[in-house]
Amino acid sequence: MRELFQYVPGDSLIHRLNPITKLLLTVAICAAAFVTDSLIFLVLLLLIDLLIGFVAGVPKKTLSILKGLLKIAAFLFLLQALLTRRGQPVFWIVTDQGLLTAGKVVLRLMVVCMPLTLVLAVTRISDLANALVQVLHVPYKYAFTLTTTIRFIPQFLEEMGDIMEAQTARGVEFDKARGVKKLGMILPLCAPLLISSVRRADSTAVAAEARGFHLRTAQSGYKRYPFRMIDGIAALLCVLLIVFAAII
Amino acid sequence: MIQLEGVSFSYAAQGPTVQNISFHIGKGEFAAILGANGAGKTTTVKLIDGLILPTAGRVLLNGKDTRETRVSQRARQVGFLFQNPDRQICKNTVREEILFGLKTVRGEEGDEALNARADAILADFGFSGDEEPYALSRGQRQRVALASILAVEPEVLILDEPTTGLDYRECCHIMDRIRRMNEEQGVTVVMVCHDMEVVLDYARRALVMAGGELKADGPVREIFRDRAVMEAGAILPPQMIDLSLRLGAGFEQADTPEAMARAVRDRRESRQ
Repeated sequence: MRELFQYVPGDSLIHRLNPITKLLLTVAICAAAFVTDSLIFLVLLLLIDLLIGFVAGVPKKTLSILKGLLKIAAFLFLLQALLTRRGQPVFWIVTDQGLLTAGKVVLRLMVVCMPLTLVLAVTRISDLANALVQVLHVPYKYAFTLTTTIRFIPQFLEEMGDIMEAQTARGVEFDKARGVKKLGMILPLCAPLLISSVRRADSTAVAAEARGFHLRTAQSGYKRYPFRMIDGIAALLCVLLIVFAAII
Repeated sequence: MIQLEGVSFSYAAQGPTVQNISFHIGKGEFAAILGANGAGKTTTVKLIDGLILPTAGRVLLNGKDTRETRVSQRARQVGFLFQNPDRQICKNTVREEILFGLKTVRGEEGDEALNARADAILADFGFSGDEEPYALSRGQRQRVALASILAVEPEVLILDEPTTGLDYRECCHIMDRIRRMNEEQGVTVVMVCHDMEVVLDYARRALVMAGGELKADGPVREIFRDRAVMEAGAILPPQMIDLSLRLGAGFEQADTPEAMARAVRDRRESRQ
């Protein structure tokens, strides 16, 4: 889980895309997933997600995300299939409409969740922040907030793991409990996590101020993020994807 | 008490962090694990408590393989003081924090006995009990963490850089309390420490690690006097030992200010 948001260096086609194009790709896939009502098109979008992961050279990470999502998807599928009353009964209280809706819901969930994680795995957070400022003219303050939030996710996960390890060493049975019981044991630990998070955020802010955070302008980054032919093709494919999703 | 037999460990996607180390620490010993950053010290103490399990070899605690029991089951036997006290503290007052550890491990003793234990340790550490842990200084939070571990009275105490970020006074407070437990109650202490003065003052045995391997194991003063071992472990000996080594013949045992003054006096007298 901790490795999920970590940058994987490489020189793949996806790595070389402009960070904004990668964001556009993410938004386009998400938009297409919500616009379309076709089960087949949703399967196609999921295949596109997997293709992105494999082209980016992170097949293990892609399959690991898919595996994690499948667990949530299975639960959602069951819930949706059992609660939908429309359509012809197939067996017990499950209807054909229920199965179809459940299929669409879980596919949509998987399609939407995968691209952002994959894009973050092949994009340096600093590149993302700089590109947001230079290309989209987002104020650096907001770009920094966004990227810091993303950067903190694996750190929080690591911190939580360390807190649980420390509590286990004190006799709290994290190494025995499962499911709801474990969740109940985790909840009281949110206080130390919150406190350490606030402390970390505070020290990050002080460090940023000390390094002239407010002096930074859109031109402060030494790297430039030009749009190349490959970005144009990717952007065109994004538009086509949404158009197809609307038509089908 | 603690036995490591050909233990190796590697984190996923990394090379071996600890490689084929073996040693035995007996009851009542005070051992320090020394070495540069990344030498495998913290991994070794985590292996001792079973927080991580060896990829090869075995770790025995009182003759029992750490694979056979859960970490939480060993909490009464082994107390682990982490480098960062904030990972451990999870209650709103110091008293609650101490009682939390006690109830988890010694719950069967009943509230009255546990309250008495908490009162004793609070008095010992100079806390009223009503203090909010998160409002205390780092050194005081480290003392709260230590107090909650000592309240349980473990047989083995593992300290992962207990003096990091503490001023000299806080450092002495904590280390003196640990020494008392070691000397008076026979608690076995295994400490990871970067402060060689603290190691010289408190530990009796030193294990030097480098690149995941155990490079040397012996009495603290002998280890500090071995230049080759110090270099292998990328460690600088305490100032007094360093000075005595530089001064050479006649100063071999001058590892305290008093011994140094005596050696200087002897040297002067021999010249006159």
